[in-house]
Amino acid sequence: MTAARVITDRPAVRDGYSPRLPTVAWMTRRNLVRIVRMPSIMVPMAIMPLFFVIAFTGSFDGISHVPGYPTDDVINWVAAFALLQGSSFAGLGAAGALATDLDNGFIDRLLVSPIRRESILVAPLVYAALRALVPITIVMVAAGIRGAAMPGGVLGVVLAYVGGVGGGVVIGAFGLAVVLRMDDIRAMSVVQTLSFVVMFPSIGQVPLVLLSGWMHSVARINPVTNILRMSRQGFLGPVTWADTWPGLLALAVGTIVFGLWASHELERRNP
Amino acid sequence: MTAAVDIVPEPVQRRPNYRIVVEQGFALARRSVLSTWRTPGAWVPGLVLPLMLAAVYSAQFAQATKLPEFPPVDSFLQYILPASVLQSIAFGAGNAGTDLATDIENGFFDRLMASPVARQSVLVGRIMGAAVFSGLESLTLIIIFLAFGAPVRSGIVGAVAIVIIAALLSVAVGGFGVAVALRTGSPEATQSMFPLTFVFLFVSSAFFPTELMKGWYQSVAQHNPFTFIIDPTRRLVIYGWSWTDVFQAIGVTLLVACVSLGWSYRMYLRRLDVK
Repeated sequence: MTAARVITDRPAVRDGYSPRLPTVAWMTRRNLVRIVRMPSIMVPMAIMPLFFVIAFTGSFDGISHVPGYPTDDVINWVAAFALLQGSSFAGLGAAGALATDLDNGFIDRLLVSPIRRESILVAPLVYAALRALVPITIVMVAAGIRGAAMPGGVLGVVLAYVGGVGGGVVIGAFGLAVVLRMDDIRAMSVVQTLSFVVMFPSIGQVPLVLLSGWMHSVARINPVTNILRMSRQGFLGPVTWADTWPGLLALAVGTIVFGLWASHELERRNP
Repeated sequence: MTAAVDIVPEPVQRRPNYRIVVEQGFALARRSVLSTWRTPGAWVPGLVLPLMLAAVYSAQFAQATKLPEFPPVDSFLQYILPASVLQSIAFGAGNAGTDLATDIENGFFDRLMASPVARQSVLVGRIMGAAVFSGLESLTLIIIFLAFGAPVRSGIVGAVAIVIIAALLSVAVGGFGVAVALRTGSPEATQSMFPLTFVFLFVSSAFFPTELMKGWYQSVAQHNPFTFIIDPTRRLVIYGWSWTDVFQAIGVTLLVACVSLGWSYRMYLRRLDVK
């Protein structure tokens, strides 16, 4: 009885391959179950965003006194950066889950099974997107308690979530590619370091007009700047399309480029 | 008769206990420094990450140095120098605990305990090794900062004082890591100490003056032991030589070291089952 139920729970095989959506759903559920079994996984994801909100607003509160700073309360500026950093942990977590599965041979077993290859990559990205909702919500609530404004209304909140979830997915895709390339759980430290290296030279803590020298040049062309501009606009004023589309474009390009790279690395492993 | 004479041991010249501890401590410290040096993954992030953060913050907060509450610095890079040195130490000191936990996990610690090695030298060696390495790292950082236009106003003597403060601080911070390593015997648990050190460092005057903070955060930062060490060290960088600043920084560091080493020695005795 139990065995029969387990078998029918699994996606049916059609045309030699299992169908895409049920496979992705099954693999995502498997990753989510991992969180239920090991709640400690969620601790850094829950604590770090809170720490970012407290530390950025506490330590650098005085920066809002600098002439030209666009808001008189630093939380309105750094909330978007804190939620992007928090959601990056979700992306890293998804890549870490894949690294563990590579390590214990689960991915190799999947590769010899009649499963569509893209499901192996799409499922961790869906998992990253779902996980990202937790730190984003924590940051939004903490920012609200700290007194953040939201003149952009519901649309502003939605775009903050879109930026955070999208950022988590892009970092997840990048992490998958690096993990598959290096085939080693130690690749995680590379992914983590590179993610933070890319995130800091941006408008995370200070607007473009107050940046100087090399930082100004790098932040101006850094795609993270566009994502932050999109996520942040609701905290500073009404939502505009001009501040939205570059962020959406950056997220789409990041997901496609890193997704294709990860797909290429997975193909290389094909038995 | 001859055989009996042969098996009588030659009279051994007994050396004083403290000398044995120091000699063996030096040997183990040398081992610790060499093993850290041969594992670039253990010390390169400790140099690169503080430098990266310093580069980012000095470009981001350059305008903040013009605020009236900000100390009179040449650049934000000069302001952040002591914080970068301390951040590097936080990494290095964490390694002392992690290495000891690895020694416990792979059995080297037990083999040392089974050998006729002075008990104290095991702790002394590990912590001394971390102090030497932290001193070298902080010297490297000061030279790099100098090359990028962040001078130490108290000159070479001031730079030497900062290196000594850094080495002592690595003993103080490393003591906590060693205590956790001895308590748990797990490298993972010991490594989890690092974020805690980072939090302590962040909620202090390391990256921004406490005068520009507000509310409870300002109170916590003002009373954070790191602030009592960073502020006088920073005055050596910004204003020039002052014995008062040197004594304050060293005094507070020694106080923290007493607490951490006391705790680690207690954990050491517990591990040896000597109560």
